[in-house]
Amino acid sequence: MSNLQGEDRVLLEVKDLRVSFFTHAGEVKAVDGISYTLRTNEVMGIVGESGSGKSVEAYAIMGLLQNPGKVIGGSVRFDGEDLLSYNQNQMADFRGSRAAMIFQNPMTCMNPVYTVGDQLMEALRSHRKDISRAEARKRAIEMLEQVGINNADKRVDQYPHEFSGGMRQRAMIAMALICNPELLIADEPTTALDVTIQEQILELMKTLKGRNNMSIIFITHNLGVVAEICDRVSVMYAGHIVEQGTVNDIFYNPQHPYTKGLLASMPRMDMIGHERLIPIEGTPVDLLDPPKGCSFGPRCKNCMKICLNNPPPAVTVGENGHSCACWLQVQEMLKQKEAEQHG
Amino acid sequence: MEKKSFHLFHSNVDAIAKWSSLRDEDFAPATETEKESMVEEHKSVSYWKDAWRRFRSNRVSMISLFVFLVILLFSFVGPYFIAYSYDEQYREAAKLFPFEKTDVEKAAQALLDAGADGVLATSMLSGSQTYIKKGDYYIVGKNGQTYAFRFAKSKEKSVLVLESDQEPALWIVDQKALISGSYEKTPVEMMDTPAEGASELKMMTSFFPHVFGTDSAGRDLLARCMYGARVSLIIGIVAALIVLVIGSIYGAISGLAGGAVDFVMMRIVELIYSVPDVLIVLLLQVVLKEPLQKWFDGAQSGIVKSMSDLGVGVVSIFITFALLYWVGMARIVRGQVLMLKQQEYVTAARALGVSGRRIVKRHLIPNCVGQLVITTCLQIPSAIFLESFLSFLGMGVSAPMASLGSLCSDALDVLQNYPYRMLCPAIILTVLVLSLNLVGDGIRDALDPRLKK
Amino acid sequence: MVFYTLKRIAAAFLTLVLIATITFFLMNAIPGSPFMTDKSTPEQIARANAKYGLDQPLAVQWWRYMTNYLRGDMGVSLKMQEGTDVTTILFHQGKFQLSIRVGLWALLVAVLLGIPLGCIAAYNRGRAIDSILRVLTTFGVAVPSFVFATLLLMIFAVELKWLPVLSNSLESPAAYVMPVLSLALYPSCYIAKLTRTSMLDAINQDYIRTARAKGLKTGKIIFKHALRNSLIPVITYLGPLSASIVTGGFVVETTFSIPGLGKYFISSILNRDYPVIMGTTVVLAALIVIMNLVVDIAYKIVDPRITLTSKED
Repeated sequence: MSNLQGEDRVLLEVKDLRVSFFTHAGEVKAVDGISYTLRTNEVMGIVGESGSGKSVEAYAIMGLLQNPGKVIGGSVRFDGEDLLSYNQNQMADFRGSRAAMIFQNPMTCMNPVYTVGDQLMEALRSHRKDISRAEARKRAIEMLEQVGINNADKRVDQYPHEFSGGMRQRAMIAMALICNPELLIADEPTTALDVTIQEQILELMKTLKGRNNMSIIFITHNLGVVAEICDRVSVMYAGHIVEQGTVNDIFYNPQHPYTKGLLASMPRMDMIGHERLIPIEGTPVDLLDPPKGCSFGPRCKNCMKICLNNPPPAVTVGENGHSCACWLQVQEMLKQKEAEQHG
Repeated sequence: MEKKSFHLFHSNVDAIAKWSSLRDEDFAPATETEKESMVEEHKSVSYWKDAWRRFRSNRVSMISLFVFLVILLFSFVGPYFIAYSYDEQYREAAKLFPFEKTDVEKAAQALLDAGADGVLATSMLSGSQTYIKKGDYYIVGKNGQTYAFRFAKSKEKSVLVLESDQEPALWIVDQKALISGSYEKTPVEMMDTPAEGASELKMMTSFFPHVFGTDSAGRDLLARCMYGARVSLIIGIVAALIVLVIGSIYGAISGLAGGAVDFVMMRIVELIYSVPDVLIVLLLQVVLKEPLQKWFDGAQSGIVKSMSDLGVGVVSIFITFALLYWVGMARIVRGQVLMLKQQEYVTAARALGVSGRRIVKRHLIPNCVGQLVITTCLQIPSAIFLESFLSFLGMGVSAPMASLGSLCSDALDVLQNYPYRMLCPAIILTVLVLSLNLVGDGIRDALDPRLKK
Repeated sequence: MVFYTLKRIAAAFLTLVLIATITFFLMNAIPGSPFMTDKSTPEQIARANAKYGLDQPLAVQWWRYMTNYLRGDMGVSLKMQEGTDVTTILFHQGKFQLSIRVGLWALLVAVLLGIPLGCIAAYNRGRAIDSILRVLTTFGVAVPSFVFATLLLMIFAVELKWLPVLSNSLESPAAYVMPVLSLALYPSCYIAKLTRTSMLDAINQDYIRTARAKGLKTGKIIFKHALRNSLIPVITYLGPLSASIVTGGFVVETTFSIPGLGKYFISSILNRDYPVIMGTTVVLAALIVIMNLVVDIAYKIVDPRITLTSKED
């Protein structure tokens, strides 16, 4: 699955991105300084529990943040261009044509009063003004066929409520891909669907990815889905990326206690016998009033004195950009250095 | 787990240098209490306290609440502070502009300014009793001195003046002559002691202004506005309570019973809903008037007596509300009941064998209360609205009773000459309805932040 | 669709029968005979009662009303215009036309004013213009229509003398201004508030986020995607709105002395002219019921999710 050939270039570079929501109760740091790069043709999974800031971060990239949310720092470069410097119109042109997004709940994500075809054609024609209605319709039918909708020429004139959940998500994908975007952000696209439908949608995304030459950011809280489709994974907790690396790094060599916890709490095919699933204790952080030090500290079995007051730094822990933000790693690193000096 | 070799990663070199000052004890495990201290527990606030806090922080609602309280004081306490009552007619004082004084008042005021202790103008007595009957009287002067006298004939259109430091101390003058300025003081013949059964006459030492002026019958408009606001408020609150009681009982029964009962009850609601209410309301007003009057005239018991004090018009408005306006409330309550019925804690309570009555008391009512309060609050202004509408068409409250609507209606014919007679009650009505609406909105936002748009 | 429409028409018809029945029994519940005056002798009353069939049992009278109505015969006036056909009174003396014209204008003004104002407020949420509109519309909903009507009278007719004081037969267009405005005040403010709320509600929906993610411009999002959805509650309000315009008609016709249906209805009640009461009630109720019917069908056009056949549940 690894897709890191030399011809791929960096498509998206997020550096120290910070997003805050200014509510009446105070500032909520939903995304608190995250950095990663995404190469062309790469699928990056972003994993975390709800409220970890994974969706907010995606909205920030797409310029979809609504009041009271604001990007307060960092940079987002797409193909070398600074997205945060775009004005509203530039951003609107960028959305849909170069980067597209699909969402969690396909039942509510389509406008109920327009036909599916209308909404697909609108997506195309708002970016390609030269395309006629007839052509756009033809393209819409094509796209619906591509995402595996039967009788697409009839379906195109139906309203969203006449589609089932899985079909709507397919239509959403068709709508997102109709302009051949270079980046697709999928925000929990399978969460609201039945397990069998989930599988179908994942398969579809895999095939489309190969066919369309695009990068995908796949946001989910389901590690199983990540294993199936992603090349690289970022694990988010309370607005921070606590660990990132290739799928293999994360699944077979997890370093951060939170990642380890996540893995222990999910059922795996390679589990021997009847090992118990171990839930992570405690509740997610209150982002209005986060801990001073490591945000995972209060739930961490290995919490140390230094974790209480100092946020952990990200250190590289392996090849292919495997990094982890945890004081345990620093401790290990210092020990190793000491041993070297003495030895 | 594979062996790591951190220093090989170039990106870590700087970092290692930075952290070399860290000591071993920094990496000692943290205790449980230390871990717990990282998270600050937010105090949970009770629902009502929290709602009150939200309401208080809403400036518009607070101002409206204040305005509403002012109107409440105006209508219920205000009448104790003015000299006139809503139904007393002052024939001399008809059609006065705000703060305007009658000619008698002006002349009498001149006398007071010139040093008189007190005056009594017969025409400024209230109602039809605009004269002093023949008989024995006495007046208590400033220094406690008693002036006793007897009128052999009843006195009409005359002014009685007391000047204790002058001679004669008590004299009477014809009203017309006093106004014209050329008058003669007719001394009143005094007696040493008040005769048996003499009644005291209160002298006026100042004239209370007609702040809003008076109407064509010489009734003080301020007093009528206060009274009208009171009637409107009572109508609004009682009507809202009627709707609350009937609607919630009906809705709760329908929702709890379910099945065929629910079906039939809801068809009835739909039927009533589809009837254009105002047409029926207007008819009802006329239909109810006579039977109600008969009932009131015949009855002796306390409740009916107090209802007849309110007047036929008001009571028929209540009946109208009881007949037609509860359907909205019934629908809301039924919806709430159905929603709550499906909720897990109610199912759980059922499964535990808790009785139906207990479920209603412990679970349904506390959860419905927010919605009920909101709907009832917003029902008050709409009842006031309906009453003023009926009164305006001449079908609600009738004189000498007053409501804000009937005051406006009375003023319509003379709008061109006496616009303030329309403006005063209209402004009070508007401000009252507005403040109630805003308070209702505020309560809605405070009780159920999800409803806030 | 055809079946549904037929069913709705049948239901509307039943409602009308119900209203006529209620009206019939209510007006007969008023004690005494409509011909009772201070001077009339019992014989005179009995004669008049017999002349108009008022001495027959109620059920017989009711049945006569119903069958006559089906034939389009609304009876003759007992008192106000004695002997004249009620149909003539209502439809051929300009009353109906007058009321309908004022009502339709008010409806038009309310919709054309309310919806754009609501959109503007929603579009500028939180800015000064939103606050100003909110204050104005809140006032508009709280001011009783007769207060507003008399205020208009005082300012534009009495003080400034721009508009005629009495609108009597509404001959000049200028005479329409005040009645229409006072009738439209409440509904336009209500519609503006409703549009704003449902617009803001729509803006927070997932499909608006989808539209933004597709790269649509703000104008298109608001006026194509949000507006059509937020019109749904506004359309449902059009039913009650027609009722409120009929109600307002009573007040406005009284205030401006317009000889329309509303004013006539009120005097017919006070005069106990039974056939006129019945006729006016049925005509006004029919207007409201028909409006509700139209709204139900218009609903389908705006919201494809409503399948008319299953709407009853």
